[in-house]
Amino acid sequence: MRRYASSTSRLAIAALAAVTLTLTACGGGGDDSSSATATEVKLYNDKGAWKTYFEGVGKLSKEQIGLGVTPVGYTDEPTYEAFIKASFRTNNKPDLFTWSTGGRLKEIVDSGQVADTSDLWKDAIANGDVSKELEPYYTIDGKQYCVPANVSYWVMFYNKKVFSDAGVQPPTSWADLIKTADTLKAKGVTPFYQTSVLFSFVWFQQLLIGTDPQLYNDLATGKAKFTDPKVVAVMQQWKDMEDKGYFSDPGSKDQPEAMLKSGKVAMGLFGTWFNTNMTTQGMKPDSDYGMFVVPNVTPSLPTTTVAFESGPLCSLTKAPNPEASTKFMKWWVQEKAQDQWANSRGDVSANPKVQIKDPSLNQLNKDAGEGKYALANRFFEAVPPAVLTAALDGFGAFMVDPGSFQKQLETIQKASDDYWKSN
Amino acid sequence: MKESRLGWVARRGTLAVLGLIWLLPVYLLLVNAFKPTENYDAEKIWTPDPHFGLFTNLREAWDAAGIGESIASTALYSVVGPALAVVIGAMAGYAIVVLRLRAGFWWFLLLFGGTVFPTQMLLIPLFLGYSWADLYDRRFGLVLIYTAISIPLAAFVMRNFFTGVAYEMFEAARVEGASTWLIFRRIYFPLALPALGAVFILEFAFIWNDLLFGLTLSQSDPVRPVMTALSALSSAYAGSSVPVLLAAGLVMSLPTVAVFLAAQRMFARGLALGQF
Amino acid sequence: MTATTSATKSRRSLGTGWSALGFISPAVLVVAALLYAPFLYTVFYSFTDYDGLTSPKWVALDNFKKFLDDPALTTSVRNTLFWVVGTTIVPVAIGLLIALLSYGIKGGTLLRLPFMLPYALSGAGLGVIWGFILQSDGAANDLLRLLHLPGADISFLQQAPYNTIAMIVAMTWQQSGVNALLFLVGLQSIPTPPLEAARLDGASGFRMFRHITWPLLAPLTTVVVGLSLVASLKTFDIVWVTTQGGPGRSSETLAVTMYRDAFVSSDYGYGSAVALVLTLVTGAVTVAYLRFQIRGQEKLR
Repeated sequence: MRRYASSTSRLAIAALAAVTLTLTACGGGGDDSSSATATEVKLYNDKGAWKTYFEGVGKLSKEQIGLGVTPVGYTDEPTYEAFIKASFRTNNKPDLFTWSTGGRLKEIVDSGQVADTSDLWKDAIANGDVSKELEPYYTIDGKQYCVPANVSYWVMFYNKKVFSDAGVQPPTSWADLIKTADTLKAKGVTPFYQTSVLFSFVWFQQLLIGTDPQLYNDLATGKAKFTDPKVVAVMQQWKDMEDKGYFSDPGSKDQPEAMLKSGKVAMGLFGTWFNTNMTTQGMKPDSDYGMFVVPNVTPSLPTTTVAFESGPLCSLTKAPNPEASTKFMKWWVQEKAQDQWANSRGDVSANPKVQIKDPSLNQLNKDAGEGKYALANRFFEAVPPAVLTAALDGFGAFMVDPGSFQKQLETIQKASDDYWKSN
Repeated sequence: MKESRLGWVARRGTLAVLGLIWLLPVYLLLVNAFKPTENYDAEKIWTPDPHFGLFTNLREAWDAAGIGESIASTALYSVVGPALAVVIGAMAGYAIVVLRLRAGFWWFLLLFGGTVFPTQMLLIPLFLGYSWADLYDRRFGLVLIYTAISIPLAAFVMRNFFTGVAYEMFEAARVEGASTWLIFRRIYFPLALPALGAVFILEFAFIWNDLLFGLTLSQSDPVRPVMTALSALSSAYAGSSVPVLLAAGLVMSLPTVAVFLAAQRMFARGLALGQF
Repeated sequence: MTATTSATKSRRSLGTGWSALGFISPAVLVVAALLYAPFLYTVFYSFTDYDGLTSPKWVALDNFKKFLDDPALTTSVRNTLFWVVGTTIVPVAIGLLIALLSYGIKGGTLLRLPFMLPYALSGAGLGVIWGFILQSDGAANDLLRLLHLPGADISFLQQAPYNTIAMIVAMTWQQSGVNALLFLVGLQSIPTPPLEAARLDGASGFRMFRHITWPLLAPLTTVVVGLSLVASLKTFDIVWVTTQGGPGRSSETLAVTMYRDAFVSSDYGYGSAVALVLTLVTGAVTVAYLRFQIRGQEKLR
C-alpha cells in the first residue's frame, strides 16, 4: 500500500508540474502583427510542401523591403478553404493567403472581404511585370483582386532515355503522338500516366481543348452541356485510348515522377510545376527528361491551345496590417521577387521579364507570353466548384470503367444543371 | 494443474503465427524505408536493398518538413493531455460507481457522448471559439482540446473498471472515517493504475498522430504538432519519394512504440494467474 | 431490497452526494465546453443554407429532406454498415484471442508486440502503407498469387465493395492490438477467488472461460464493443487517406459524405445536417447497447 501511495503522490506532483509548465509555456509565436512596425507577413497557403520556397522568398523580401515571410502551410485542401473562410470572422486573419482563381475567387470577392488591387495591376502591367493576358482571370466585375502567386502551363513531360531507346521523337501532330504511343506500347512501356485522384480531369481537358476550345469554355460557363454530342465524342475517343492500353493504372499510389523516372511510364501530362517533382528525384531537365506542348487533336485549328493555371496571392480589406500586405504584394510581382520564386521551384513566372534558368522552360514561358499559344483556363478553376466535384468523381469512375462514360456525363450534367439553375 | 505440452505449444504457436502475419506490413515498411530513393522500385517492394538509405531519407524528411521545435510541443500535448484526462476520467468513474452519483448512468452517457460527435465538424466552431477566447495558437489551447477528447474514453474505461472493485472496500474505509478524496487517492486511484496506463498509451498514440486539430487551432511552428509538418510530404505538390515518406512515418511512430513498451511493464506486473 | 433503495441508503448514510458532484465536475465542465458547445454550433447550422462565408439562411428541415433524397446516401449507409459489422466482430474477436493467449505467460509482452505496433502508426502512415499494399498489382495481389488464393487479379481499391472490405482489413490490422490491450485490463481485474474456486472444482480451459472468465470480463467487453461501435460509425480517416471515398464515391462512409458536403462542396449547412444525423444514429445505437449491457451487469452483481 505504501508503494502505491508514494507512486500516487509522485504522479500528482508530476501532473501538477506538467500543468504549471503548460501554463508558463502557454504562448505561441503569435506576436502582435497589427503594430505599425510589422516585420513579418503571415502567408497562409495550401501548399505546405513549398515551405522552403516561401522561406527563400522571405529572406529576400526581408533584405529588400524589410518584411519577412512566415509561411503557414496546410496540406488538406478542404480544411484549408473552410479555415480561411472562417478566419474572416475572427481576429486571426491571414496577412496574405493563396487561393484559386475562377469560381472560388468570385465567391470570396463577392463577400467583400478581399482587397482591391486594381491600381497595383495597372502599374504592374504598365511596368511589364505582369502580362495583360492574365488580367481577366483576376478580374471580378471590372476590378482586379489579388496578384498572381504562380503560373503554370500544362505540357507533356517525357523520359528522354525511354524515347531514344524506342527510337521516337517528341511528336508534332496528334497522329504522331498516337503513333509514338503505339511504338512505346509495342516495346512494353506504358505511354501515358493517369490518376483518378485530384487530377482525373487532365485528359478530358487536353482532348477537349485540342478539339474544340470554344466548347470547352462554354462548358465552364454552363452554355454547353456535358451531354453535347461533341463532348460525348471526346469521351469516346478517350475510351478508345483507354481500351488500347495507353494509360497507366489510375489507382496506383506510386508517384508519377517515380514512374517516369523508372521508365515504367513514358509520358505524363502536368503543369510546369512538375519540374520540381522531377528534379527532387534527381532527374535533370533537358538531359534526363523533357517537355513538349501537346498538339491539337484536330489539326485544322489555327493555334495550339495550352491549358494553364494561375493561383492568386490575396490580402484582405480588413487585414491585420493592410500597408504591410500591400507593400509585399507590390514587391512580389516585380522581377527580383519572381526570379527567386520561379527559379527556386524550377517553374515559369507570371513576370515575362524573368529569365528562367532552364532553357526549354524559358522558351515555353516566352512563347506563351508572346501569344504563340491560345490559353485555356485549367478545368479546376474554370468550372464552378459544385460541378468540379461531380466531374472529378465522374472521371475517376470512368477510368475504372471506361464503358460507363455516358452515365458519368449525365451525372456531371445534372450537377451542372443544378448549379446554373440558381446562379 | 500444469498446462499440457500441447497446450503450451498451441498457445505460443498460434500467437507466433498470427504475430508474423501481423508483421508483414511492418516488414514492407522497414524494407522500403531503408532503401535510398534512387533504388526504390515499385516492382520490387518485397526485396530489401543492400544500400542503407534510412538516414538520408530521414534527413530529407527532416529538412523538407522542418520538424525541430514541433517535437517538443507534440511531446507536451501527448503526455499532459492524456495524463490530465486519465485523472479526471478516474475521478468521474469514481463518482459514478463508488460514490453512487444520482442518475449516474445519465452522467456517464453525457461524458461518453463526447466521443459520439464526428470530430471534423468540431474544427470550425472550435477555431471560432478559440479566436474569440484568445486561445488560438497557444499551447494551452491545444492541451485543453486534447484533454477534452481524451476524457470520454478514460471515463468509460474507469467507470467499467471500478464496477469490478468490491464496494465493501469503500464502505469499510468510510466507516473508519476517511474522506472521499482520501479514499480515491489511496485506494481507488492506485488500484486503477494498470487500466489508466492502458488508456494513457492509447491516448498518447492518438494525440501524437493528430493532424486536424493541430492544423486548425495553431499556426506557428513551435506550437504546431509534428504531424502537420509531415503531412506536407505526401501532398501532390511534394515530390517526396516513397522511401522518404515511409522513413518519416517510421520514425514518427517510434515514440509511441517506446511508450507502449514502457507501459506494458505495468501489465506484466499484474496478477499472475497463469494458464486457464 | 432493490438496488436503488440500497444505493440511496448508502449515499445518505455515507454522505457522498455533493462529493460525487465535485468529483465529476471537472470532466463534465471540460467536455461540455470543448465538445458539446462546438457541436451545438453544428446543430444550429444544420437548419441553414450556409457556405461558410456569407450569412446563413434559415431553411428549417430542407437539408434533412435533401438528405433522404440524396443518391449517394444509400451507398454511404451501406458502407457504414459494412464497417460496423466488420469492426465490431473480427477485430474484437482477434483482440480477445490475443489477450487470452498471451495473458500471464512468460514472454507474453514480446508475443503481443506485433499487434501493438500497428496502432503506433498515424492515420496518414496507415493510409500510405495500406495504399501501397492494396494498390492494383500491389503486395496484396502478389501474396494472393503466391498462395494460389482467389482474388489475385482484383484491383482492391478500385472496385466496390472490395475497396471497403480491403480497408476494413487494414483497420482490423490496426485495431486488434488496441482491443487486446483493453481485454488485458479486464483480465487483470478479475478477482482471484472465483477463479481459484473454479479450478479447485476441476474446471479447466474452455469451461472456465465460458462460465467464469467471459462473464467477469463483461465490463471491459462492453468497453471494447462500445468503442468499436462508435469508431466504426464515425469511420473517416482511413477512407479519406486511402480512397477519398472513391472511385466515384463508391467507398464513402457517412462521415466522409459529411466531410465532402461541408468542406469540399462548401455546403456547410448540409454537411452539418449529415453530421447531426450521424451523431443521433451513433448516439442511439450506443445508448441502446450500453443500457442493455449495463443493466445486465448490474443484475450480475
